[in-house]
Order: sequence, then C-alpha cells, then structure tokens
Amino acid sequence: MPITTAYSKRCLPDAVEDLKAQCAGCKPRTVIFFASSKFDQTELSRQMQAAFPDACVAGCSTAGEIAGGKMVGESVSAILLDEEIVRQAASAVVENLRGGVWVAGALSKLERQLHASVASLDTERYVGLVLIDGMSGAEEALMEKLGDLTDVLFVGGSAGDDMRFRGTQVMLDGKAYDDAAILLILELKRGFDVIKTQSFRSTGKTLTATEVDEPRRLVSEFDHKPAIEAYAEALGVPPREAAALFMKHPLGLMVDRDPFVRSPQRVDGRGIVFYCQIKQGMELEVLEATDLVAHTRQAIDARKAAAHPISGIIDFQCILRTLQLRAENRCGEYGAIFDGIPTAGFSTYGEAYLGHINQTSTILVFR
Amino acid sequence: MAGMIKDMIDTITEKRSKGNPTIAMTTKTKFILKGVNPDRFDAGSADDPAVIAKVRAIGAEMGVSV
Repeated sequence: MPITTAYSKRCLPDAVEDLKAQCAGCKPRTVIFFASSKFDQTELSRQMQAAFPDACVAGCSTAGEIAGGKMVGESVSAILLDEEIVRQAASAVVENLRGGVWVAGALSKLERQLHASVASLDTERYVGLVLIDGMSGAEEALMEKLGDLTDVLFVGGSAGDDMRFRGTQVMLDGKAYDDAAILLILELKRGFDVIKTQSFRSTGKTLTATEVDEPRRLVSEFDHKPAIEAYAEALGVPPREAAALFMKHPLGLMVDRDPFVRSPQRVDGRGIVFYCQIKQGMELEVLEATDLVAHTRQAIDARKAAAHPISGIIDFQCILRTLQLRAENRCGEYGAIFDGIPTAGFSTYGEAYLGHINQTSTILVFR
Repeated sequence: MAGMIKDMIDTITEKRSKGNPTIAMTTKTKFILKGVNPDRFDAGSADDPAVIAKVRAIGAEMGVSV
C-alpha cells in the first residue's frame, strides 16, 4: 500500500509503538500525524521522529482525530506516504507568529530542499500543507503571504487542544512548537485534488462590513448598523436571539457561488467577533445550514467517480462541523463516508485553503 | 476616466497566471480575500483613486507592478 493509516488510543510510549506495529513493513517518505492534546507533544514528536527516522515527520495537536473512517478522540492518528506517492518532501517552520508573520526564511529553506524557487513549482505536482498554532490568530496573514509568493496550493488546518483553548502545538523533525506554523511542500508522483466542502446555501441576504477591527476579528457594524442588530434583522429575529443562530447561519464571502465561510464566534457589545477576519467593505451573504453528511458524501462520491482513483485522504475538518455531528449523533455516518479509503485528519480550529476559513472541510486527496 | 481598475486587475491576473486558468481562478479568489472583488469592476467603472491604490498594492504584494 503506498498510503497507510493507523491510529492508537494508548498513552506514550505505547501509542507510538502501537502505530509502528500497525505500519510494519512501511517505508514512509512522509508521515503526518494528528494528536490529542492529552499527549505531551514534545515527547510525542520526538518519539514519532525516532520511530520513522528516514521520513519527514510532521504533525499537530487537535480537537479530535479522524482515523480510517472513524471520528475518534484521545488518540494519535497518522498517515504514511511512501515513495510511490511522494517524490520529494520539503519542510520548514515559521516561528514567532505573534510578533509578525515572516515567511521568507521558511520559504528559502523549502527552496533549498527542493532545489527550485517556490514561485516556479508546477502547481499540478506540488501541494503545500500548513499546520498552524490555532491560538496564534495569525492564519490570515500567513495564508495571504504564502499566496502572494507562490501559486502552489496550500491546504491544512489550525491545531486544536480539545476545546480547552489554552495552547496548541505543531510538530516537525522531533520537536514541538507553539506560536508557529509548519509548512510542507510535497511533490506528488500521481498528483492530487483538493475538495473544499461546506454545507450551506445562501439565504440571498447580504451584509456589508462597514466598521471592523481586523486584528481582533471584530465587526462593529454591518450596513452602518450595530453588527448584531443588522445580523438579527437579516434573519428576522430580535438581536437577543441572534447568537443562538450563529452555527446555522454563518456568513459567506462568495467567490462566484462558492462561499468562503466566516463563522460568528460571540457577541461583543453590539458587535460580533468572528473566527476569522472580515475586511472593511467586504460584502457577505447570510448562509443557511444544509445536511452536512449528505453534502460531504456527495462531494466524496463525485470525486470517486472521477478518472483518477483515490489512494488516500487527509481531512481538515472544522471543529464546528464536528460539534454539529456530535450534537446530531452522526459521527459514525460521517466517518462512513470515507470507508475503504486510507484516511487521516483532525478537527481543526480553522481551515486553510487560499485563505483562513471556517465551518469547512478542506480535503487533500492523493491520487 | 473609467476602466482603469479592471485593466489593472486583468494585468495582474494575466501576469500571475501566464494563461493557466486554474491559477487565474485562484488569483481572483486571492483578490476577493484581500477585499477587492474583480467582478465589481468593468470598463465603465470609475477610476476611484483609493481602489486604484489598493489594487496597485495588491499587485506589489503578488510581485506584479502595475
């Protein structure tokens, strides 16, 4: 198997030994793992690198893991990519994100490993992966700078900590970091596809952000009215009832008819704090939730019907989607969508696809 | 005067994508995420100096001088 997945619910050091035993015979070129915050991430990273010494080994802490068609927790889930899949892998860390996002050093490091400029890479063969500290608040700046400097598509997610919101970690080469992002660029022999799926339709109502505090991800006014009042008015409810509708009615920055979801987090005075930035003057559509499981199944089935078979999947799934699935007791149904496909992934504090988005699954499909 | 904003966006997109339609689409998405929706501008759009400055800055960020 060119792609192998495994997961373990044991504690350290048994968890890594368990993973290694499940992957006996594999010679991975790249190992990507997603781990519950129950683990000592520094120790886990060290042990994972020691277990797969010839591979590029990267990972992050999570708010729940996805493993082989199951949604699990308190585990470590890994996907191993061998030389049939990965021709070469380059990796780098961007540190001190809260002090400003400077990617030049990391990109230079990637370029040295790839022996090519990131601006010159073939976007059909190379894919970028980004795992970022989910408490850094730096996702937008990082994705924007990467997007400015390369057309290689970066997908990934913000690390979690099982909804504690105390600290998240990313891991590379046997070390663990906070306030940092891990960048990987993989050259894939068979190519790849990316599925971005979110289960919403437009209500046809729009809100324009007329007063914002971008760094705080705060919108004070939509359409020159207090944000919570404008949002409530769009949904036809009193402002005091609006926060209860946040999960079902996020906002969408529309690219053609495809929403890049901005999820409201909480009311702040008469403003609304979101899980990602909204810029002054942005026009957003008020969205309405549809069936998450059916919509995701449709997206995966459509990809299965395409010409290239699926060798494996990494699913970067928003924690808000996972919370919805847990509330609806549909985690099993969701996991079953990926039955028969080597799959790993995690519940994120935000998803990466060209920018920083919410309530979405960004799914990397290895051909 | 009118139409300069669309011309600038088109130039940045062409130089960046070099005719690759997928990259042209992702470039459009990057414009929208940066707060400028290319679909809002056509040959008749007024040459708003603030928008022109913003598009020029986006071009510079993307490594394209316009």
